[in-house]
Amino acid sequence: MPETINDAILQQVIAAIRSAIAEDWVMDFAIDADTSLNDDLEIESIEFVAIAEALQKLFGAQVDIIGWLSGKDIHELIALTVGDLANFVEQGSERG
Amino acid sequence: MAKILMTVPPLAGHINPALAVAAQLKARGHTVEWALHGALAGDKLPAGEKLYSLPAGDALNLAESSREVRGLESVRFFYDDFCLPLARGSLAPLEKIVRQCAPDLIFCDHQMLAGAMVARKLNIPWLTSITTSASILKMSPMLDDWIAEKFLELQTLYPLPALVERPDFSPYGAIVFSSEQLLGDKFERVPATYHFVGPAYSGRAAVCDFPWHRLDHNKKKILISLGTVSRDRSARFYEVMIAALADMDVQIVMVAPEEIAARAPHNFIVQTRVPQVELLPHMDAVICHAGHNTVCETLSFGLPLIVAPIRDDQPVIARQVIDAGAALFMRFGKVTAATARATVAQLLGDASLRRNAQRLAQSFQNLGGATQAVNIIEQQLQNNNYIGKAENARVFC
Repeated sequence: MPETINDAILQQVIAAIRSAIAEDWVMDFAIDADTSLNDDLEIESIEFVAIAEALQKLFGAQVDIIGWLSGKDIHELIALTVGDLANFVEQGSERG
Repeated sequence: MAKILMTVPPLAGHINPALAVAAQLKARGHTVEWALHGALAGDKLPAGEKLYSLPAGDALNLAESSREVRGLESVRFFYDDFCLPLARGSLAPLEKIVRQCAPDLIFCDHQMLAGAMVARKLNIPWLTSITTSASILKMSPMLDDWIAEKFLELQTLYPLPALVERPDFSPYGAIVFSSEQLLGDKFERVPATYHFVGPAYSGRAAVCDFPWHRLDHNKKKILISLGTVSRDRSARFYEVMIAALADMDVQIVMVAPEEIAARAPHNFIVQTRVPQVELLPHMDAVICHAGHNTVCETLSFGLPLIVAPIRDDQPVIARQVIDAGAALFMRFGKVTAATARATVAQLLGDASLRRNAQRLAQSFQNLGGATQAVNIIEQQLQNNNYIGKAENARVFC
């Protein structure tokens, strides 16, 4: 895990989340690295697919978010933040 | 005639379908007894039913203790802090009850894990009652593994003749209070013998008053309800509904806490409880939390919905009814008045939603509800007799 989150990637992840949710409230909703997908954004795990696909389109097929998530346990998934997603995207795009 | 022991969690959504089945069983001359957590169930089980009460132990009152949790966290909470503590505390007392009651069959809710364990250990025929179709779908390997792990832990505490991955599903069969049309075929199912019977209503009279004379026959009418567990959850949702719909040419019946009722706009009837099944025939649409029973009751009257899932199985049920074309989505804690207004306009204006709801209503009508469930129970009782009394008697030695 990088100690600091790459801000450019973080902003792209946030933009992708906003456009995947595509509802009025999310456009003004403050989202940062600590924002939780379950509690703060009310994103169900069955909605992750749309976000994962959007990020894969942006960052390339090697950013396999669904594969990465399927290795997580229930506690990790509940606690998942936007920063976790950005970190994974950064590592994935470095590999690619 | 046979004796049937019904064992279910102390929650309205689980007790009500069982009550409907119990009423039919009694009408056919069978004896029905109940084993549940009386202190947690309160008046959800009507007086007059023969009840063996189980100790609630360290299990919490679900509605009070989990007010803030949502989504996946609520699924974890439901098992870790409700279902499993109830099961652990109930295994020994329930075993004692079952030995004393000596039922011919146990009708066991899929989340009443102690019932399934005891029926397996004592080798008593039992059927699983499935009050939410979300429970039979394999939607996430992560969740399936986690639940399997919890069931293994339970079996180390209360060993069965053989380890079972999913002790909650009876090998004798599982009665599902839904239809395959609603369930869809997107997801794989937990392997079991399923009987889809559609929703089952208890015939009991409404337990609360309603100002029927206030219903306006010239307006479209919408029922808003978040169900028994989530009703008192947060005022925000009700405030948004009021802001969105107070000026709309519709009449709203809303189930909400007392303090919301005090400032209801003129086109709202707000009560803490309503006679839901009696009200539905008067409604044009429903906005709800996607609780399984509310969704199925609404669909059985051919009404379209807006679903705003909060917790537990609700996101899955919401997905089913949206995919079936009979509902629109609203994000419970986030929806704005503007979006709520637009979504309600679509709910009332889009004829395809109603057509699909009516198609699902037909799928329920083709099933027999509580009557069919009792037919399945009686078929199982007949099968029991083939096994022979000698073998059954051994269990209670």
